Amino acid sequence: MKIAAANPPSEFRMKAMLPLACCFLLLGLSNIIAAATPLEQANRQFAGGDFAAAASAYEQILASDGPRAAVFYNLGNSYQRLGQYGPAILAYERARLLTPRDPDLLANLTLARKAAAAFEEPRPNPRLDALLHLLSRNEWSWLVTGAACLLGGLALVCGALRLPRPGWRKAAAIAATLAALGMATGTTVLYVRRAEAARGIVLSATASVRISPFESADALGSPGPGRCVQLGRKAGGFIYLEVPGTQLRGWMADREVAAVAPD
Amino acid sequence: MVSQIHHSNIRWTGHVARCLGRQAFVELSRTAAWWTLVTALLLITIGVPTLAAAAVEAALDRDSVPAGRGALMTLRVSGGRVGKIELPEVDNLLIQARGQSQQFEIINGQSSVSAIYNYAVGSTTPGTYQIPPIGVTVDGNKLTSQPLTLKVLAAAATQAPAGIAPLPPSTPPAAADTEDTSGKRFGFLTVEPATSERKHVYVGEIAPVRIRAWLPEDARAQLHSGIQPEGQAFTLHNVSERPQQTSEVRDGKRYTVITWYGGISATKAGSYPASLSLKASVAVRDTSAPQPRRRSGGPFDDPFFDSILDRMNTPMIQQDVTLKSEDQEIEVRPLPTHGRPAGFSGAVGDFKLEAPELPRAWKTGEPQQVSARISGSGNFALVEAPKLSPPDAWKAYPGKGDFTPGDEAAFSGSKSFQFSAVPRKGGTQDVALNFSFFNPDAGAYQTVTSPAQQIQVAGTDLVEQEPNIAAAREPDKPRDPLIGQHAQLTPRRSLVPLVARPEFVRLLVIAALLCVLGGLLGWHRRRRADPMRRARTAEERATREALHAAARCAAAGDVSGYFAAARQALQHRLGSRWRQPAHAITLAEVTARMPADSPVASFFREADRNAYGHSAADGDFPQWQALLADAMASLTE
Repeated sequence: MKIAAANPPSEFRMKAMLPLACCFLLLGLSNIIAAATPLEQANRQFAGGDFAAAASAYEQILASDGPRAAVFYNLGNSYQRLGQYGPAILAYERARLLTPRDPDLLANLTLARKAAAAFEEPRPNPRLDALLHLLSRNEWSWLVTGAACLLGGLALVCGALRLPRPGWRKAAAIAATLAALGMATGTTVLYVRRAEAARGIVLSATASVRISPFESADALGSPGPGRCVQLGRKAGGFIYLEVPGTQLRGWMADREVAAVAPD
Repeated sequence: MVSQIHHSNIRWTGHVARCLGRQAFVELSRTAAWWTLVTALLLITIGVPTLAAAAVEAALDRDSVPAGRGALMTLRVSGGRVGKIELPEVDNLLIQARGQSQQFEIINGQSSVSAIYNYAVGSTTPGTYQIPPIGVTVDGNKLTSQPLTLKVLAAAATQAPAGIAPLPPSTPPAAADTEDTSGKRFGFLTVEPATSERKHVYVGEIAPVRIRAWLPEDARAQLHSGIQPEGQAFTLHNVSERPQQTSEVRDGKRYTVITWYGGISATKAGSYPASLSLKASVAVRDTSAPQPRRRSGGPFDDPFFDSILDRMNTPMIQQDVTLKSEDQEIEVRPLPTHGRPAGFSGAVGDFKLEAPELPRAWKTGEPQQVSARISGSGNFALVEAPKLSPPDAWKAYPGKGDFTPGDEAAFSGSKSFQFSAVPRKGGTQDVALNFSFFNPDAGAYQTVTSPAQQIQVAGTDLVEQEPNIAAAREPDKPRDPLIGQHAQLTPRRSLVPLVARPEFVRLLVIAALLCVLGGLLGWHRRRRADPMRRARTAEERATREALHAAARCAAAGDVSGYFAAARQALQHRLGSRWRQPAHAITLAEVTARMPADSPVASFFREADRNAYGHSAADGDFPQWQALLADAMASLTE
């Protein structure tokens, strides 16, 4: 009797475990549903016209789930609906780092820039600029590393084995030449575009460039919301920046400007 | 101050030298003394050429002067005792000595003495004067300065970029410069819009402006900031990087004028004061200071040199100032809503549509490239690709636009477009491109249309999927240009590009290692496949085996076996050396190539004697082994 009480029969144990298993299953399913819900909820808030709540929800998704192009894009739309063009352009620019050729994103970014009068300065050589921006910096980086690894792999294969057919040797030589060319081009582009690592976006219309990093310092001017700036060193709560295409340079409170690619 | 520093340095150096002289051989160890001496020698070696290098430099304090006024030429001679100075003679150019001074400098521990000679240079005849090199005798050696160029101007002139009227000629100066009481003693800023006849601008319009900083003629200025709009109603665009510098007269006073070109634009309608400012440190001559009495009757008693003498004798005062332009109320008008064309993109200015490039043959539903160019002046940032006409027959896709600036302020220029278009209707069509913009001078919207081109479109008309007749009857609602939300989550990725992450370097290092490894493997493979090396290895192995066999035969007392194996060892070694088959090497071959008394020939003879003659006793083995060892050793050498 004592043994039976301490160890119930297996059938009895199965019956006792079934509701527990169902509870776990329901809990798991609810978790799976809940994981997909935040974006849908935020999209529903956007569709319902509650743009502030939608923006807040997108920010939460980004904080908890990491950078995703779709969330940045939706966040940019929310801010644009709210008339906050600085944060909208920042969100679009961050989305552009992840999906550089998304036509919807580029169209909405253009709209936001127009609305904020934050035009991009004309490029001195548009054709060269188009070539340099054919790929994002991340894609150029992958091209360089891919080409380098291909070159290394070819060197390893050709070193270890003697390619039996002349056709294979020719193909290997062509591949190595292309890889070296890709590496050289990618490295050059990355060097030319190195300043983009310090790109920032002005967030508010009242953000002022000051002559020194103090609240009481004289203001030199306001670049306007959404304006792309070149960020420099930090001092206290201020960051030194330059506005491309103008001679405006000085210090701005770091709450009024944000780096496109955060540290 | 500089001189004091120098003297204190000399005293300190002397003290150190005395300390070194006294202590080097007494207190310091020999090694330390040697190091000290070496260091002292190095210092002397470095210091002597610095003091000994003689140089002559000539410079003008300005590139141009008005006729009748002079520039200050400075001749700096350093590194030696100055002898004769040979001033060149230039027609119509006066050069008069204005005194001499000495400058003693210590920079980064290196001292230098310079003699500075000042000259007044000028002419009453306008033109460009070349001042030839000035010859100076320094410590008996003749040195020359570089040639200089001085422009003597009749009147100031400047050239504005396209779209901006040229500057008016400057007014002649008044009888004499007077003390400025208008608060502009340190200079001021002026902003001159190109659209002088129009007192208003439109939202989005970029109005070209000429910005001029007027600094007193003798002022020295250092700019601390760029030009900034004072309020927040206007923004400044594309300020020229290289300003022009001229000398001009205004209100009877001569100024050095620095001119920039740029564009000013407003983002909202209303009336706002527009002014610009520039922070600078400006030093001007203090004309209120008492002037020294000028002697009359001397060799320089000439009105031509009066201004130079005054300038040189007047002290300067410096002040940090903000040069401001006068507040100018500008009316900013909104773009009219009445008559706004359907395809208006916000372009404000005056534009022309140049002949587009259209494919002659087309097919319904087939996208092809259309090229067009819009030129003119205005806010090119908002200029979009022209539209195809008739609009219902075409569907166009966004393309790309490349702007080529036509002037320094990027106000004029041209924008080239390339975009794809799909014809919806088949048959022969007259196609044109049109572009709408707002002309601020006319105050009205304008649409420019390219000449119609006839093209042939093959295929049948494209039928719309769901023609909505009801919607077509309803009045057009303004279309929301914002493209909607994305419903699907995209993959999580880092915002930081690979190049800025440590993985980038790691991957490149791995690739480099693979390259190195591949190179090593290739080298090893080629080395192993080398036929010479393989043959040499085989010969060495065969030699080794033959020597082992000979040793075994010697141990067993097998004389014939010993000689056969030993001969074989020698044959392999000789074959490897002479690149011949080992079995083909005989005594005749050996004696033909080597001396007859060599150990190898001797051993071959002994082997032949044993092989073809009588069998020797095995008691001679030590002697034969010694002979074999000598023969092998002679071949190894």
